[in-house]
Amino acid sequence: MASDEEYSEAESDDSLYNYESRNTSVDLICPKNPNLTSDDSEFDIDEVDSSDYDEEDDIDNSLLATPVSPSTKKALSEGSVPNLKYECLTTKEIYEKMLKRINHLQPVFSIPPDDVLVLMQHYDWNEERLLEAWTEKMDELLQQIGLKSAEVNGSSDVRGIKHRNDFMCIICCEEKNTDTFSLECGHEYCLDCYRHYIQDKLHEGNIITCMDCSLVLKNVDIDQIMGHASSTKLMNSSIKSFVQKHHRNYKWCPYADCKHIIHLKDTSSLAEYGRLHYSPFVKCSEGHRFCFSCGFEIHAPADCNITSAWVKKAKKESENLNWVLSHTKECPKCSVSIEKNGGCNHMVCSNCKYQFCWICEGDWAPHGKSFYECTIYKNDDTKSKGAQEDPGKQLKKYTFYYRLFNEHEVSAKLDWKLGQTVGHKVKALQDRMGVSWIEGLFLIESIKTLNEGRTALKWSFAVAFYSDASHNLTKIFLDNQMLLAKAVEDLSELLQIKEPETIMKRKPEFYNKSGYVENRRTALMECGRDLLCKGICKPHDG
Amino acid sequence: MSRAKRIMKELQAVKDDPEARIELEFVNESDIHHLKGSFLGPPGTPYEGGQFIVDIEVPMEYPFKPPMMKFDTKVYHPNISSVTGAICLDILKNAWSPVITLKSALISLQALLQSPEPNDPQDAEVAQHYLKDRESFNKTAALWTKLYASPDGAIGKSVDEAELYGIDSEAVKEFESQGFEKDKIVEVLRRFGIKKLDPADNATINRIIEELLK
Repeated sequence: MASDEEYSEAESDDSLYNYESRNTSVDLICPKNPNLTSDDSEFDIDEVDSSDYDEEDDIDNSLLATPVSPSTKKALSEGSVPNLKYECLTTKEIYEKMLKRINHLQPVFSIPPDDVLVLMQHYDWNEERLLEAWTEKMDELLQQIGLKSAEVNGSSDVRGIKHRNDFMCIICCEEKNTDTFSLECGHEYCLDCYRHYIQDKLHEGNIITCMDCSLVLKNVDIDQIMGHASSTKLMNSSIKSFVQKHHRNYKWCPYADCKHIIHLKDTSSLAEYGRLHYSPFVKCSEGHRFCFSCGFEIHAPADCNITSAWVKKAKKESENLNWVLSHTKECPKCSVSIEKNGGCNHMVCSNCKYQFCWICEGDWAPHGKSFYECTIYKNDDTKSKGAQEDPGKQLKKYTFYYRLFNEHEVSAKLDWKLGQTVGHKVKALQDRMGVSWIEGLFLIESIKTLNEGRTALKWSFAVAFYSDASHNLTKIFLDNQMLLAKAVEDLSELLQIKEPETIMKRKPEFYNKSGYVENRRTALMECGRDLLCKGICKPHDG
Repeated sequence: MSRAKRIMKELQAVKDDPEARIELEFVNESDIHHLKGSFLGPPGTPYEGGQFIVDIEVPMEYPFKPPMMKFDTKVYHPNISSVTGAICLDILKNAWSPVITLKSALISLQALLQSPEPNDPQDAEVAQHYLKDRESFNKTAALWTKLYASPDGAIGKSVDEAELYGIDSEAVKEFESQGFEKDKIVEVLRRFGIKKLDPADNATINRIIEELLK
């Protein structure tokens, strides 16, 4: 029976996400920014400064004024930015799109596509900057980047692999019968040394040149020297650095081992939505959902500020991270952890190439003060001392909420395991009860509702921690939280049932309980947003 | 073991070219990781007349990874840490290429002494001094060369702290006359990057006194 295979575990997981995408991200109309859909320049990065955005005051009104579609309403109630337009890609797909663009552009250049590729790589895959430079100074550009030898006598027959007897390689200083490689410049080294040299550079993603001059090794050369398609690795690294550099529009899916990249074409409205405490929640094609702004999982009812404050705090409290905190620092730009491995305080982030001072974490360029007395560092120190809160009381409050947060995180993991067994249950239903797959869907929907409820509950503790406890709205929020907790536990319990017969008999209960969790979750989200909008809940260092 | 071969060959190349006045030798004959190199201060600079010793560590992946170099000799230079001798030079970092040798790296260091890059400083205090008052900087750099890089160096001699950092002795005297201790004055003036005092600049003087009173 073929249908047996179809309803296996993996398949049912997929269908879960398909279902979801039908609900949230398809057919979204875009009432506010109709020009968004124009798609002609794919990699044109409009890093629109939020300060340029002049629709600030209209936004809330416009949301109210336009007829709100059901999907928009759902997104809003969940604290998510509505009508978010994005696509999910892999490095390979981005690279292929680049290649397509290059083929498209090639007639403009009248040089081989391979050379255009190098030009694109040099200009960080920025078409416009390249074209601008190209029209200004073609020949100069070719020489400057190293596609053309500056010397006239550089002849093309020198280029390539040759076999030589008694060759003395000046890199390894070995005299041997060996294959060698050189470009038009005639700088010739043995293949072993060339391989070693290239191998080290593949992961950097930069253009690789001759060891002695600026002539470029093209992808064909690299593949020829390495003996296999190593240039794909280089291109992959180059695309990765492209993604890193355009982190406003491109984000890696933060889930472990997920290789997908979300490309958000228009980020201009994010800051504005952020101010209204909406977060841009996205989903990659693996079905991983996360917040595009801060890279965490769906953290509603908390907004990004609360989330980052909460997570930072959790890190600070954790003993295990002591080493990381004392030996590494986050790059001030891209937040990658950096370990200092030398004496020089002039740090260059290997990720985003940002240059900063190790002591004060400020930009290196205008660095004027003596390095052992960075004032910024000192200021920071005195500021943290000046914070006048009762540390003991704060800690107690924090520990209380953190325990709850953690408990639900653990539970969520267990629920995930439960989700895996649900696939088996659905199958059992079909086999033993003759229930159709569609009819079994309610189980999968229930587990999804449970997951969402659990996640919302988890983050609501972060909101609770940062909220002014004396305020009435906070009390209402806490009541809502309790109701959701109860609803979630009830549903979780129901999902523990193993016997297919009982499951079918109690099907209405599944619907009721799921619906209730859904309602309670929406209520909690709305209430949480209220706290944020009214400033009752705001991040502080406690 | 191409690395051993290459290092031996490099040593020979240095010996074969005595004109360059560069020296390169193992610290310990049994350890090819660790060498000391030296070169002469370029003429026409405050470093003239000095011999500068550089500590060289050769990594396993050499020549595909750059050697780690730092000055053993104390040098007063914007791109060299006056405390640790650490060097800020691109060819010793990302601009390294396997065709560069220990000798050519030492020559690059010599060229660095000749033409500092104050806009990419390793030692910000020194760099500021260089940018603000070249004459005074040159005097201090020459003093350091005489004290630390010459055969008849500072050993056994007492060195005036203020002079060592290019601080005008009048400025120190001004505060000494107000009863502050010399060490403290020098420390504060260094921290503020002040080498000379303008008697009319009361704001700065007050700021220094305020700091001294702390």
